[in-house]
Amino acid sequence: MKTENCRDWRESLGAYALGHISMQERAALEAHLEGCPECRAEVNSLSGVALLLPHADPERFGPAPQPSPELGKRIEATIAADRQVIHKRRRRRRFGLALSGGVAAAAVAAVLALVILPGGSELTPRQRVQFASLPSGVTINATLEPHAFGTEIHMYVSGIRSGTLCKVFLRGPGGASYPAGSFRYRWGGDSEAVLSSALDLSRTAAIGVHAGNRTFIAPVDQTSAAIDVHIKGEAT
Amino acid sequence: MPPGALSRERDVREAYSAHSGELYGFAVRSLDDPGLAEEAVQETFLRAWRAGERFDPEIGSLRTWLFAILRNVVIDLGRARSVRPRVSEGGIEPSVEPLDEALLSWQVEEAMRRIGDDHRRVLVETYYRGRPYAEVASELGVPEGTVKSRVYYGLRALRVVLEEMGYED
Repeated sequence: MKTENCRDWRESLGAYALGHISMQERAALEAHLEGCPECRAEVNSLSGVALLLPHADPERFGPAPQPSPELGKRIEATIAADRQVIHKRRRRRRFGLALSGGVAAAAVAAVLALVILPGGSELTPRQRVQFASLPSGVTINATLEPHAFGTEIHMYVSGIRSGTLCKVFLRGPGGASYPAGSFRYRWGGDSEAVLSSALDLSRTAAIGVHAGNRTFIAPVDQTSAAIDVHIKGEAT
Repeated sequence: MPPGALSRERDVREAYSAHSGELYGFAVRSLDDPGLAEEAVQETFLRAWRAGERFDPEIGSLRTWLFAILRNVVIDLGRARSVRPRVSEGGIEPSVEPLDEALLSWQVEEAMRRIGDDHRRVLVETYYRGRPYAEVASELGVPEGTVKSRVYYGLRALRVVLEEMGYED
């Protein structure tokens, strides 16, 4: 029944699936579909595709966005660093096993003390920073967390004028500044601001805040940060 | 360790070369922020590397596995930025588009990019812009039947590309 007849109708099936044919043509085509299981199957399949079209935005049919050429290198570097952390962890494990019982217990106690005291948990990969030399009544604290993308910063500010724009930055070992975003301090609002910077925590020497016309800087203790990173790797 | 596991840095490099474009495209579509999208792709490959030995090609393709990881990363990043305070002008607001809708949109848009120019053109003009077939045919300098035929073959091509991309009804 199909053959010639089918071939005539096939190319109208797309317009039919999109609802683009006249009433007259529709009636004739549906009469054909009635007796042609193959064309019926085809139109069902095309209708499924047609239903997906509204999900797309035709403004986005242009060339696909591409990541920056450096992204691949950055990922390689991150993975190489991760590999080193794992390698060091294994070496430390071997070293720990080689220690005699009493010495090992003392070493474990010392490491736990270093980790538990600053972070509150042996599994929390955090670095707490307390800003000193602040004006009377002002408090600024920060918690820094290492991530693959850099460092997540939780800022806790109180005592400054409500509405003050606070710009946060990290300093690398050479003194270079890395912006970490900004927020407005609101009196009585949520005192925690969550920001992030591309600088790795392991390379962060200090954290600073420009608040109004004042700048406050606090050093970041790399010793405990390194231990935190190490413990995080061990937990995963 | 199953063959194909991401156990060596070279494996990750190859996986990046094969899939980073698509992963980044979906990340941009769902986060609407190119910088954050790069962070998402970086985090995806880092997580894949750390869990590389658990990847089993018998269960699913590497591409599917990476997309599953990226989906989780995007959810995590979305959560992280949604708890940030509104940060003055130009601050990031959390996306309201559900992630699965973003994935579907990206798949259809990516499929549209992959079909032939002629097919995409008639679908854009007739379906998205709602123009009459006769008008499109006149503009393109082809018979109206050709426009109709291109719509048909365009939809078929879309179906094939979507199947290749792993789309399932």
